Amino acid sequence: MSAPNDAVPAVTIEGHWDFDYTYFAGSAASRFFAELRNGRIMGSVCPQCERVLVPARKFCDACFVDTTEWREVSLNGHLETFTILTSSIPGSPEAPFVVGYVKLDGASTALLNYVEGVDLTDLDKAGAELLPRRRVRVVFNEAPQGRITDFRFVLGDAA
Amino acid sequence: MGCQPVQSVFVSGAATSFTWADARFSLTDLIYECVKEALADAGVAASDVDAVVLAAHDLVDGRGLTNMVTAPAAGTYLKDETRLGEDGATAFILGDARVRSGSVRRCVVAAWGRASEGPVDRIANALFDPFTTKPLGMTEVAVSGLRATQAIATYPSYGAEREGAARSRHGSTDPSRVPSIAWPLRPLELPVWADVVAAAVLSAEPSAVEITGVGMSTEPFDIGDRDLLSLPALRQATDQALRTAELGIEEIDVLELDGLTLFDDALAVEAVGAAPQGQGMHAMAKGLAVNTGGGSSAGYCAPAMGLVRIISAYRRVVDEGAAAALATGSSVVASQNQAAVVLSHQTTR
Repeated sequence: MSAPNDAVPAVTIEGHWDFDYTYFAGSAASRFFAELRNGRIMGSVCPQCERVLVPARKFCDACFVDTTEWREVSLNGHLETFTILTSSIPGSPEAPFVVGYVKLDGASTALLNYVEGVDLTDLDKAGAELLPRRRVRVVFNEAPQGRITDFRFVLGDAA
Repeated sequence: MGCQPVQSVFVSGAATSFTWADARFSLTDLIYECVKEALADAGVAASDVDAVVLAAHDLVDGRGLTNMVTAPAAGTYLKDETRLGEDGATAFILGDARVRSGSVRRCVVAAWGRASEGPVDRIANALFDPFTTKPLGMTEVAVSGLRATQAIATYPSYGAEREGAARSRHGSTDPSRVPSIAWPLRPLELPVWADVVAAAVLSAEPSAVEITGVGMSTEPFDIGDRDLLSLPALRQATDQALRTAELGIEEIDVLELDGLTLFDDALAVEAVGAAPQGQGMHAMAKGLAVNTGGGSSAGYCAPAMGLVRIISAYRRVVDEGAAAALATGSSVVASQNQAAVVLSHQTTR
């Protein structure tokens, strides 16, 4: 690169973006979130590939057709994969915390949320405990708000 | 400038720059210097260029419609300019199409990202779906963590041979240049953030390196719908590029694959067919020459990296006398879009 002029101090300025957005979930996702308040997790069925898509959605993007049926899926499932995050973001739990994709029984796709029930004092030990595709259950918050954070996954099937 | 249909497209020059928080240079300074170097490498002036294709991301640059600010630094004044919010490999393929169509004879492709100007992990989180994944703290590195966990659980060699495969990678002792750990990833397996600019000059005029194949493909947006291990979009893009080039993967001498972490690289090795299923990490540990410059650990910032990989492949074809190279680029979010490019040494075809 061309040699810059070092004779003057380099100028830097601070910048910050802080806009408020209102995202529209649409009718299918709105029903999915409303059902969380009822303690139910819903999928939508693609009439072509017959997959049960969770979270429920208006259309199957693989077949590019409307979903045509709503189906409640189990609150138990398998932890398909996970990662242990070591830094927090606004609104997240204090790090470290586990997020994982769970395929609930009866669903064809996996759903992301926090995974609880493992001691995170030693991350390697915690990871080894979670690796063998553990069974997990959905546990809802006491006062669900119709948000993805209304529930988390906890190790072990529901009784 | 005529509009004669052109069948062949060549890379006639290229440049990359990797810096970190060098306050003597503005973002536009960095872009200008890199594009100028690429033009010099090609032996042409800005006035010899008919079109420019740019890849940049507003969130990464922290500038609304960043290309409006940055494009002139890439030599776009009174030029046919296309702006993409996509990975640089996709810009390269669009540039190839512009020249191949005959509508232009020479095209500059440029891509950049300046990681030192913003909080990379927070920016990555902002890219995710506001209803289902963003509130849960997802980042690009977190997705690599998810892939790595599944790879270790599914393929024993991924856990056993990761240290050997990481031999050619670089670390950084500067905490502002590495993402926070997403277990099971380890420091040497992570990217090292950098201020990256890449530029290439494509031309209808024959030169040593010809673009003989390109391919692109897209996966679902929802990560829970995806096959995190087999990378189907990368498989499809690579198949398309190799088919167009009339080459098999066994005829490829140079591999430059755009992965965010070591595990992404290893899974990409499998997806392009350079190793059997489950053997990508083993192949790298045994010395498969993929990303010989260190890949993402040599400096990383989206959306420049696909073009960086292509230029690395171009250099290896020129410098090592390789007959054919495969380079790939992957986009945010979580490699949803994949692009593959085959470069061939003209004298060997």
